[in-house]
Amino acid sequence: MVRGPAQRQIRPARVYQTVTTLMDHRVKPRLAIQQPVWYKVVESIPPSEILTRPFPPQHRQPNPRARKASRLFQPQKLVYKEDELRKKFYTDHPWELARPRMIIEMDGKDALRCDWSKGLRQPGMPLSGECVVQRQMYLMENIPGITEDVAYDQVRKEFYKLRQEEEIERRIAQEEARMVGAYFGQTFQQVGMQLEDQQFERWKRWATREIEKIQGEQTAAYTSFDASEGGADAADLDVDSLREDLESTANIPPA
Amino acid sequence: MIIREFGVRQGKLPAAQAIADANPRHSRKALAAAAPLRRGPQQCLRALSTETSGTPVATADPAVESALQTNPENPSPVPSLFARVAKPTRRRPVEPDTTKADWETAQQLRRNLLPVGTKVEHRYGPADVFRNPPGPKDVTLELLMASQAHMGHHASVWNPANARYIYGIREGIHIISLEQTAAHLRRAARVVEEVAYHGGLILFVGTRPGQTQIVTQAARLSKACHLFTKWTPGTITNSDKILPGIPVEIVDELDRPVGPAFNQHLMDRRALVPDLVVCLNPLENFTMLRECSQANVPTIGIIDTNTEPTWVTYAIPANDDSLRCLAVIGSVLGRAGEAGQKRRMEDAKNGKVTWETPSEIKQFIEIQQKRARWTKRAAEEEEAAANKANGGPNQSSTPRSSDRSYGRTPSTNKDGTPIFHADEAMAELQAEVDVINAEDDVSPQLRNMMRNLD
Repeated sequence: MVRGPAQRQIRPARVYQTVTTLMDHRVKPRLAIQQPVWYKVVESIPPSEILTRPFPPQHRQPNPRARKASRLFQPQKLVYKEDELRKKFYTDHPWELARPRMIIEMDGKDALRCDWSKGLRQPGMPLSGECVVQRQMYLMENIPGITEDVAYDQVRKEFYKLRQEEEIERRIAQEEARMVGAYFGQTFQQVGMQLEDQQFERWKRWATREIEKIQGEQTAAYTSFDASEGGADAADLDVDSLREDLESTANIPPA
Repeated sequence: MIIREFGVRQGKLPAAQAIADANPRHSRKALAAAAPLRRGPQQCLRALSTETSGTPVATADPAVESALQTNPENPSPVPSLFARVAKPTRRRPVEPDTTKADWETAQQLRRNLLPVGTKVEHRYGPADVFRNPPGPKDVTLELLMASQAHMGHHASVWNPANARYIYGIREGIHIISLEQTAAHLRRAARVVEEVAYHGGLILFVGTRPGQTQIVTQAARLSKACHLFTKWTPGTITNSDKILPGIPVEIVDELDRPVGPAFNQHLMDRRALVPDLVVCLNPLENFTMLRECSQANVPTIGIIDTNTEPTWVTYAIPANDDSLRCLAVIGSVLGRAGEAGQKRRMEDAKNGKVTWETPSEIKQFIEIQQKRARWTKRAAEEEEAAANKANGGPNQSSTPRSSDRSYGRTPSTNKDGTPIFHADEAMAELQAEVDVINAEDDVSPQLRNMMRNLD
């Protein structure tokens, strides 16, 4: 049996011709092959597939200086005018890409509900970079004499204003909510600092234990000798340095 | 723990008081034969209570228990069990019915709160296409685009035979031309409808995870079969081994079962072969498509840009990785089949049958008729012989003229009356059956010859 994605099959498309031949054969006249149920259907609705190479839809202007045709039968890249505008906007505002965005369409007619002459806010569409691009496109196409940069500048400022409004609305809503008793948990930064503090505390406990251990060893060593030699030996230095570390860590004010 | 128990007691106390205030019979009224059970009121209460917790605590309270057992202020006036049974009293404290007031309050609250807050609008749900499946008339380019039918595979994995269906390259992937998709989808829907109209057996196949609901819904709509598990190789080409004794039903033009007349035929009948196969994932079902092509079954398949379009008879270029797209296409085909079945049933009610009896069943009917005829004639011959022996007239043994048209002409006597031998007739019948069987055996070879001729 033939396998693999590149294997052409000729029988599926020629099923009607095959059965016609079977029915009309004269090899054994008494053997009557019944007309299949689909026979008339396939006869009236023939399959469309033709394995000829089509000339693909053209999306670019042909290069007049090209000496010979290149990739003549391959699909071409789809390029739209908005692509450049989109690229410019998101290069200038990379954090706009970090905002969550809904890409599911309801019935495919979402774009028809937008009227970009009205401004950046459109029904059923949250404010995003796409609004800027579409509005800029609208201005460039409908205002005579406006350049791309001027349109971008104008729409960009509208966008900033709306974003600022959103920010203020959110802040005031938060304040109102706090006023009537709502409380929000810790911020991410606070949670991070808390975790960090926990680790510091753990280290402090461990360091204290280590100091006590070293001091105990030292004490045991001193008791086994009659008189100490005096002066700071290596163990003393260790304890001192650890203690200094500990004190300096403890002096760090909590954030 | 202490606090919790305290709370439970607080909560249970009024209930216990209410029980104590009422007649003690009230708490045990559900027990018809209360006399022997009266000895243990704790067990009764525990058995009667519907509360899962707290009841033991409540009954464990000694005060409540004593109140339950005896009520000295209001002694029971009816000592007899029979009198109580004869005159049951229902002394549940009547609570005022607040249903109406509650409902009105809720409505008022709703009215007040309606303009407050965000208005959530229903945009899209994955189950929408199953609740209201679109038909062939609802296919628009917008719908196809919203269901991501246009997204193909990466441009490097394309099958060049699909160049006809590809509109361009975007972000590295091939974009399928939705005009082609819509045109081919409508064509496929037309095929499904017509095959359903002519009483064909349609099979919907989708073996990828998540395609179960799509396939079953399409099959339910169009009264077809579905497959959402692995295709057993050889189900068509080796069906005698794969599907032996699979139950088959013979129905009439109104889809009613015809009864036990064909049981003998059904016992030695081969498994059915579908008349049209719709495959949602041709890449994984190459074996099935190959078998269909060997058995001369037309197929409809969803062809992505990396799929070979010649594997199927009717290709629908679309994104076979999007369940939303597959659901739309499946429901369109299912609706088409539904329309075809509806038309077929209407025509059948008006007396127009859109399909013809399969040849195997025709042969079976012919053989049965012939057998009945020969049996009848044999009986007549025997009767005539008996009459002749008795010296009576043998006029009744003359066969009807219509019998001459069937089979070979029997040999005649000198006086022109045909002589009939039952064993000869049965041998003739057997010979015909053998010829038919031999032709069945020959047919695969013939098909091979035909394939070579192609």
